[in-house]
Amino acid sequence: MGELSTGLRRGTLEFCVLAMVEVEDRYGNEIVRRLGDEPNLAAGEGTIYPLLSRLRRSGWLESKWVESPSGPPRRYYGLTAAGRSALEHFRSEWVSFRQTVDRLVGTGETA
Amino acid sequence: MKTSKTDVVAEYLREVDQRLAGLPVLQRRELLADLAAHIAAEREERNLSAEGEVIEVLERLGSPEAIAAAAHEEAGTRPAPPARTTNWVLIGLVAAGALVVLFVLCGLVFFAQGSSSDDAPAPQRTAPVPTITG
Repeated sequence: MGELSTGLRRGTLEFCVLAMVEVEDRYGNEIVRRLGDEPNLAAGEGTIYPLLSRLRRSGWLESKWVESPSGPPRRYYGLTAAGRSALEHFRSEWVSFRQTVDRLVGTGETA
Repeated sequence: MKTSKTDVVAEYLREVDQRLAGLPVLQRRELLADLAAHIAAEREERNLSAEGEVIEVLERLGSPEAIAAAAHEEAGTRPAPPARTTNWVLIGLVAAGALVVLFVLCGLVFFAQGSSSDDAPAPQRTAPVPTITG
């Protein structure tokens, strides 16, 4: 993964994670599998777990271990109220940010 | 067959763990538990039997280096180099520092004695000065 994607990813990937659990709680495998399928988002599924840990410690996510009927316990993640407002805030910031970059770099109208 | 698959996973987790030195202990435990649960769930849900399939799960997780680097980045810690290298570098630095200090001290003592014999003796020259013999 190049320097550019690393820089762009920093600060945006966490909101992709928050958006994934916005409607319903999901367990770790679901989240990292989905993000791992996007080659320019994650360097590997395993690199998402430290991010999940930080989001939980900073109070945007909450997690609970749930026994699975078939197999090992699963750790489910859900949005906290703080996480929900952080996601809303990002959405409005992101749109104006993207429009500014498009205007300055020339990636907007011509496409 | 069962033990060999477990060995692959155990070895992988050990490789990750070795690179997590410097991370707070609870975050280290949490990450290893998350990875172990991930692997166990993948095996169970997809009914993986062959060792090659388990290795594929590990490859999708990423290299131990990449995972540890992400963990250190999120925690704001620096990946610690292998312990042995650190010790030797440290010992080398301390030894070099001690040598430099020794040289400077010897030089100062030599210079002080040399210059005091040239110049007029200062009044406090009579005060006992620790002499270096040998």
